[in-house]
Amino acid sequence: MQPNKTRILVASLVLGCAQLALAADPPAQERDRTYAKVCGFCHDKGVGPAILGRELPVAYIENVVRHGFRAMPSFRSTEIDNAALASVARWVSQSPATSAASASATAPASPAAPATKAQ
Amino acid sequence: MTTTPRNVLPKGVSASDFEQALTQIRAIVGAEYVVAEDTALAPYNKIMMAVPDEQHAPSAAVMPDSVEQIQAIMKVLNQHRIPVYPISTGKNLGYGSAAPVERGQLVMDLRRMNRILDVDAELCTALVEPGVTYQQLYDYLQEKKLPLWFSCPAPSVIAGPLGNMVDRGVGYTPYGEHFLFSSGMEVVLADGEVLRTGMGSMPGSNTWQVFKWGYGPTLDGIFTQSNYGIVTKMGMWLMPAPPDYRPFLIQYPEDTDITKIVDALRPLRIAMVIPNAVVIAHTLWEAPCTKVNRADYHPGPGAISDEAVQKIRKDHNLGAWNVYAALYGTPETNAANWKIIEQVAAATGGTLITDSTEQGGRATQYRFDLMKGKPNLGEFDLYNWRGGGGSMWFAPVSQAKGSETLKQMRMAKDILAKYGFDYVGEFIVGWRDMHHVIDLLYDRSDAEQMKKAHACFDELLQSFAREGYGVYRANTAFAEKVAATYGPVKRDVERRLKRALDPNNIIAPGRCGISI
Ligand SMILES: Cc1cc2nc3c(=O)[nH]c(=O)nc-3n(C[C@H](O)[C@H](O)[C@H](O)COP(=O)(O)OP(=O)(O)OC[C@H]3O[C@@H](n4cnc5c(N)ncnc54)[C@H](O)[C@@H]3O)c2cc1C
Repeated sequence: MQPNKTRILVASLVLGCAQLALAADPPAQERDRTYAKVCGFCHDKGVGPAILGRELPVAYIENVVRHGFRAMPSFRSTEIDNAALASVARWVSQSPATSAASASATAPASPAAPATKAQ
Repeated sequence: MTTTPRNVLPKGVSASDFEQALTQIRAIVGAEYVVAEDTALAPYNKIMMAVPDEQHAPSAAVMPDSVEQIQAIMKVLNQHRIPVYPISTGKNLGYGSAAPVERGQLVMDLRRMNRILDVDAELCTALVEPGVTYQQLYDYLQEKKLPLWFSCPAPSVIAGPLGNMVDRGVGYTPYGEHFLFSSGMEVVLADGEVLRTGMGSMPGSNTWQVFKWGYGPTLDGIFTQSNYGIVTKMGMWLMPAPPDYRPFLIQYPEDTDITKIVDALRPLRIAMVIPNAVVIAHTLWEAPCTKVNRADYHPGPGAISDEAVQKIRKDHNLGAWNVYAALYGTPETNAANWKIIEQVAAATGGTLITDSTEQGGRATQYRFDLMKGKPNLGEFDLYNWRGGGGSMWFAPVSQAKGSETLKQMRMAKDILAKYGFDYVGEFIVGWRDMHHVIDLLYDRSDAEQMKKAHACFDELLQSFAREGYGVYRANTAFAEKVAATYGPVKRDVERRLKRALDPNNIIAPGRCGISI
């Protein structure tokens, strides 16, 4: 299903990219990838509650992700597959108390600071 | 697969027929990509609307990975007359989320089809599948070091361009009217036929993503906010990253200032001095996104008082109206246009803020990011205002005229207050229209608030319709009622189209009020 057969160079580049995108997108094996790409956008920014370093039970985390919780949306297996969910839940559950602070400190440029004045 | 008795079935379909269909579908996509147990379906039934979950419970979900699989599934669905509700990234939060418009519909979840099929850096176009998220596209462009921007809605990290465009969503860059900046769709029709719109119909054409109209009637529009097909590819235009980007905020102290704001900004927007979708956000949109705690100002029940809102403004340096816009150009053109912005701000009594970290608050940062198409989830702070996860967007279209906006704002505020809800609203300025977007926030765990929110939405809808104001989009629970506000002839034509394209009424019957 390549749309532009004539542009061979670009097409092959694009095909390469498409595969790359494929390889990169599904929540991968790295333990914190799902957290960095999804959860952290709220939970590291003071939008949702901080969840790192709280020893939240794995089963509880998995349940909240699949069912959603109050305003938190649910996430389907097509978004975060079972393996990625198990991995991120374990990672969040086992995250040391200090990692909440360090995670937001290393988070990509954003308004982490005002979050503190919120509480 | 487990065989617990099923409590949700598609309308008019027997349990045995349904089971047979699922067996056929499993053979097409693989057993792991069909779910029909309550627990596995939970993520497809999390809604924010003021109706019981059961009203939008799916019977099953199927997750195909290709156009061919979708075609094969359509055959099975036609055979058994099973209604299917397609979703792409499935994050239509506050409009129905990933749940079907009618109970028992089978959700077709296209999130696995997440290929970025083409990015043409010279022509600044992309071709994407339904499961691609904005964040994925952003990462892709970053990784390839392509200086291209797109426009995205606020929940951009988890939502996607195709799903947003087919619901005619909006964003905040100069390409903010997303359907306008789409070019070409591929659609699987109810009978399994695959249509490519515009130039895409022609064998060998390489202009699908650059010329939208093709020959003869342009069909793209009928596949948005409708149920005439399953969109499997979408072309979209990307914007060259401008050499100079100057976002700004202008704050105004009074509710009534909206009149002069709109009248002063409209000419700049129409003439494209300000090329992006200007947002004019009210205090109570900024407040939650600045981490103001509602209970500190209004501990009791009912709508927040005007005095409390005044106090919030003072305590947190918020405007009654907070105008977000940006200049996109070269340093030279932006410098020239900046003088105009300064003049307009001064002439209208607004306070101009350009440095988000120093002067603006937390809300300013996510807004400045959104206006350059940088995904974030900053706006989810809205849900900390009332708590309890209830949200329905009431979004009437308004002319971009000052007098109209004040009238709409007052109408909405009065109706909301009657039911104990706050006016949390903003105007998103299109080229000549404005989307007046109001978040009806309520506590979904409170039965009383649920009832009130439902009644309130209904009254908003009917009162606005009586004044000739229609909404640009609506949640699935109110699809029928909203469709009714647009009059009978349009609906009749839509029904005739439905009969022609989907005679078995299997694609999302009821979506936007369209059914046979
Ligand atoms: C805090 C917050 C802020 C928001 N801000 C914005 C905003 O700025 N702008 C905005 O537009 N929205 C906004 N929304 C609403 C919504 O979340 C977005 O519009 C989102 O992009 C829609 O979800 P999606 O992209 O995942 O599309 P989906 O949920 O996948 O699709 C939306 C609907 O389109 C139809 N559909 C989807 N895919 C197909 C297909 N392949 N074929 C046929 N029909 C299909 C279905 O009926 C589906 O329900 C906001 C929501 C929240 C919670």
